[in-house]
Amino acid sequence: MAVTPPDSARYLALYVAEAAEHLEALGRDVVRFEQGATVELVDSMFRHAHSLKGMAATMALEGTEALAHRLEDLLERLRADVHRADATAADVVLQAVDVLFTQVRAAAEGRPLPDAGPVVGRLAALTASLSPGEGPSGAAPGEAQPAPPPAASSLGPEAPTPGRVAVRFHVSPGASQPAVRGFLAYKRLSTLGAVVGLEPALDELKAGRLPPRGIRLELETSAPEAAIVRTLRTVAGVELEAIGPAAAPAPAVATSAGPERVAPPTIRVRAELMDAFLEHAGELLLATARVRALSRGVPEAQRPPIDEALDRLHLLVKGLHDEVMRARMTPVTLITDRLPRAARDIARLRGRDVELVVSGDDVELDRALVDALAEPMMHLLRNAIDHGVEPAEHRRAAGKPPRGRVTVAVSRQRDRVVLEVRDDGRGIDVERLKALVSARGLASPEALRAMSEREALLLVCLPGLSTAADVTQVSGRGVGMDAVKRAVEHVGGTLELESRVGEGTTVRLSMPLTVAVVGLLLVEVAGETYGLPIANVCGVVEVSPGAPAPGQGAPLVAWGQGVVPVHELATLLELPSSQTPAKGSPFVVVEGERARLALAVDRLLGQHEVVLKALARPLDLVPGLAGVTILGDGQPVFILDVARLTPT
Amino acid sequence: MRHVVFRLEAFRYALPLGAVREVVVAPERWTRVPRAPRVVRGVMNLRGRVVPVVDLRELLDAPRPAAGGPGRVVLLDRGRAELGLLVSDVDGVEPLELAGPPPPRASLVVKGLARLGVLPVTVLDPDALDAAVARAFTNG
Repeated sequence: MAVTPPDSARYLALYVAEAAEHLEALGRDVVRFEQGATVELVDSMFRHAHSLKGMAATMALEGTEALAHRLEDLLERLRADVHRADATAADVVLQAVDVLFTQVRAAAEGRPLPDAGPVVGRLAALTASLSPGEGPSGAAPGEAQPAPPPAASSLGPEAPTPGRVAVRFHVSPGASQPAVRGFLAYKRLSTLGAVVGLEPALDELKAGRLPPRGIRLELETSAPEAAIVRTLRTVAGVELEAIGPAAAPAPAVATSAGPERVAPPTIRVRAELMDAFLEHAGELLLATARVRALSRGVPEAQRPPIDEALDRLHLLVKGLHDEVMRARMTPVTLITDRLPRAARDIARLRGRDVELVVSGDDVELDRALVDALAEPMMHLLRNAIDHGVEPAEHRRAAGKPPRGRVTVAVSRQRDRVVLEVRDDGRGIDVERLKALVSARGLASPEALRAMSEREALLLVCLPGLSTAADVTQVSGRGVGMDAVKRAVEHVGGTLELESRVGEGTTVRLSMPLTVAVVGLLLVEVAGETYGLPIANVCGVVEVSPGAPAPGQGAPLVAWGQGVVPVHELATLLELPSSQTPAKGSPFVVVEGERARLALAVDRLLGQHEVVLKALARPLDLVPGLAGVTILGDGQPVFILDVARLTPT
Repeated sequence: MRHVVFRLEAFRYALPLGAVREVVVAPERWTRVPRAPRVVRGVMNLRGRVVPVVDLRELLDAPRPAAGGPGRVVLLDRGRAELGLLVSDVDGVEPLELAGPPPPRASLVVKGLARLGVLPVTVLDPDALDAAVARAFTNG
């Protein structure tokens, strides 16, 4: 294929996205065009074709430019004489849109553009036939009949007796604009008689909710079956499944498909509207909790009916919130679909031979998480191919198959989604990694000795370390791992590493299904309440810290097999700490950016599930805050970003 | 031009009416914003929204009051992100015209001086207030 400089590749992505948008809009216009062409509508179609032409020209995609130009010609002619727009014209436009789609797709994948000869011919022929000199090619839209198709079918005898006919058809799986095709088929068939039954309903059909078992239409008509078949054939991309007298009950294929494999009907909703739904549902939860807190002040005798009403309100609001959360679930394919292409590019660029296996892409995640994970996943893939997988000759020498293997596996594990990027490359040499960390003074030798293997592997996420070129060589990981870890933790996820020298590395991201509701450990310090995300909390210790270790300022507290340094949360948050910490005050052991640490607090207030609110300007400028929530008593409480609490 | 006139102790200040969304009674209990600049009094729960409130005294380097009531919060209208100003009390809405430039060495957020009857009123610039708060946050 042609070698494109990286810059052009960026524009290509933009071109593909925008071209697809124009073609989709054009397809939508065709549906309305079928119902009655207006000058405004043809204008709109013309504008889309024109924009596409210009974009294709800047990308030097001559084939697309030429086809869009032909389409423009036809639309210009139709605009001048809009009553001559008929079903044939709609068909030809739709065909052109199809071919344009395949061309855009080909451009996206760097393939040569497919030939558009036949459709260019049809466009030209129709444009010519619509020339002012030519006679009308069809009747005016009001009394339009489908263009008489060539008599090609010999299916069934042509019996002119009126009756009910059941037609079952489906839109070809590969065809673009299924909604348009389905609707066109309905529209054409309806010209033959009265539609007395339609499954799915017309609204569903228009919205593109096509059941996998196909579309079933019952027609009261005197037209022979062969005419129905011919009419259906005038719609490209629609395939007849069955036709016969309507006495037969609806085909019972639906259940055999298995309920979980049936694609659910969908509608498109603007992302910001989904965010607003969630925000309001969250507010409702908070408001309900507030009313409950207030109701505690009501005399005991009057409480039962209020409590009952509140329970019901809470159930309703909780249900609404759950449904909004479900509606936000987005297939993880939005991320994984991009990976194979990226893997090919990275592998080619770095001279690696790599096979990418993606599994589990039917998992769904909250929209916000999908957005947040796109970049980190790409990063992990790049690391796996670029720094994990060795060049083929090294692999051969090590007795490995020359072709590297990178696996991306997504799975649902209870209330978490786990994303794994695994390679069979060189792996991380923990001892060399520790030596490097020590040489750079990023951790004391004692701390390094005390580290478990798991903790030591996480050293590749140290900010000061991960950008260093020599670490890339040693670790088989490194570039930007701090950024990956931070991005993942920012949305409530955790990052784990597993590695074996010579065998490969696995990075495992464990994400909550949703971001909006988070589990918190509420703590009190200096009279203020703060929330620590449960995902960052390793445990709680209620002993007094030991004496400071020799040569170290921070006191230590015993934790598991080792010790962790103690930080006063009040000091970290720059709060006026009125009293010295009482003996026996609790410590919360959390996963910090570099290592675990124990936060000294005044009191533990317990666990809460809360609705997380994002911080608006200027609060988002404060380091160490992850969000805010409102407790049942109406008090706002900040949620701490544990990784950014300690000074770096 | 109509202005919202409010007080820090005995001194009167004003903001253009269009820049003010509403005035509410300050909460009895504040949630402190950790690591925030000194000018930030805290956040308050305003009908489910968490709004940061700046102490106008700190912003203008005005003397702290000996004591007093909870005060009022003047909420600035700045699109989706909200900002409140903590003041002693709000007098009302009055028509005001700028009578003179800001006094020398006045804070950058002062637009000029006006008179309400015989009383002097310091007119503030809402955009400059906004910028001053943002500056306080970015400079730590």
